[in-house]
Amino acid sequence: MQKLTRSFNASSRDLLFATLLVTPALAVLVSLSIYPLLYSIQIALQTDGPAGPTWSFANFSRLAGDNFFLAAMAHTFIYSAFALTFEFVLGFALALILNSTIRGQRVFRAAFLIPMMIPPVVVGVVWRLMLNPNFGAVNGVLRQLGINTEQLTWTASPRLALAAVIAVDVWQWTPFVFLVLLAGLQAIPQEPYEAARVDGSNAWQTFRHVTLPLLKPAILIVLLLRTMDLLRVFDQIFILTEGGPGFATETVSLYIYRAAFRFSDFGYAAAMSFVLLIITNLISAIYIRLLQSREGVA
Amino acid sequence: MSLKREVDQFANPPRWLFFSPTLEHYYEAFVIQSFVQYLITSAIVAVASTACALVLGTLAAYSLARFELPWNLDRKLSLWILSTRMFPAIVTAVPLFLMMRDLRLLDTRLSLIIVYTGFNLPFVVWMMRGFFVEVPRDLEEAALVDGDSRLGALWRVVLPLVAPGLAATAVFCLIVSWNEFLFALVLTQTDQAMTLPVGIAGRVTQYEIKWGIMSAAGAVAIIPILAFALVVQKYLVRGLSLGAVKG
Repeated sequence: MQKLTRSFNASSRDLLFATLLVTPALAVLVSLSIYPLLYSIQIALQTDGPAGPTWSFANFSRLAGDNFFLAAMAHTFIYSAFALTFEFVLGFALALILNSTIRGQRVFRAAFLIPMMIPPVVVGVVWRLMLNPNFGAVNGVLRQLGINTEQLTWTASPRLALAAVIAVDVWQWTPFVFLVLLAGLQAIPQEPYEAARVDGSNAWQTFRHVTLPLLKPAILIVLLLRTMDLLRVFDQIFILTEGGPGFATETVSLYIYRAAFRFSDFGYAAAMSFVLLIITNLISAIYIRLLQSREGVA
Repeated sequence: MSLKREVDQFANPPRWLFFSPTLEHYYEAFVIQSFVQYLITSAIVAVASTACALVLGTLAAYSLARFELPWNLDRKLSLWILSTRMFPAIVTAVPLFLMMRDLRLLDTRLSLIIVYTGFNLPFVVWMMRGFFVEVPRDLEEAALVDGDSRLGALWRVVLPLVAPGLAATAVFCLIVSWNEFLFALVLTQTDQAMTLPVGIAGRVTQYEIKWGIMSAAGAVAIIPILAFALVVQKYLVRGLSLGAVKG
């Protein structure tokens, strides 16, 4: 046993071997994530003047007065908050219900795989079709139920468009929350539940003091991953509404995309993407802090 | 939808089952329009970037799972690698576009392969690191005692043991690359390098949308994904949570 552990502690030859194995991957990651980040700092801070490039915070100070950017921020937060809440509540409820019934789980699993695996572009196309006010399936069904659908123009209506894109995200990603939480629930051993029963605690107390604490890592991971995905949402909205009608569903990612690739305003786009990066980093840092406060999950 | 004639598509009330099926949309999409080319590009890019990410990522993962580097570096590196995955894609899309422009790689398949390799790498490292940790060390010890080199032990003893995990990881990378949209949209401009999602999206934003063709292309984009998803069912939760939750 002594010999076994020693040979895996770093002798200098092993250290060399270990370093050789990691280096190519690190090189790729540095050139594809660190270097671009530094590069975009440079783009954001440089403005081309008549006398060559000058350094300034112009792009950043422009941000604060840009109402479109602030509106896109607001849309992104509303979108993320609502989608996250619905996905979590629905997914958690489903996981709790199905955890107690063993039958049918496999079927559910297979059925739930489908929405989140489909290319987001295809999801966007399919829902754009289904939500079409004239010949889409959603209004078609509503009409057959005798509901007047004249006001329900979904993605074409400023009031309904944001709700529609949120609904599509909930449709696509609730299964993910469900599957991760179900896996978390099934990993909880039976003993704490038996102990709780012996102590005579009711269903709510058991849930509150046994299930929730033991499920906390899985809950935090699912919230972390969903939050990061929601804050950077692009694909489905790009296809479903293109940010419209007007500006109603424009998110930060879409706004940055437009600034960079429609108006070639790379400096401003880089400045905005920095704000987005800082916000997502702060939020993920909070989640990771919460995760590590319990135990070393990683 | 992709099987319906246009008369039936716009029928009111909708015709769910009783319509006369047709394959004309598939014919138009894949024979007349350039969807065949998108399909080929998508396949090439997905396979090549997955292969690169797997090789680089698996080696790094093995190293991070097995060796204790000085100053806790193995742990710090792992976390840093994970954090690169958390970047919003649009943040790197702008500088990567400019970099590819400078390298004259815009509108090539190679640019997408490079970017997707970087995109999938953190995922491969995390997934494979988890699988390597689960392999008992005694087995490699035995191989080393028998005179195998470290690389030999990895190749002959450890890799066969993690093969199911490796396959699942590969499938996840294929799915991610296949579905990716933002970078493909930004880095390609013409039919020669467009992937299927960009090709589909390009048709949507036009004034008149050919729903039949769109649905045909969409159906073709979904089929390999469904086949793959069934293969990785067992590892699904683990993969989707970046290896954090073992389902």
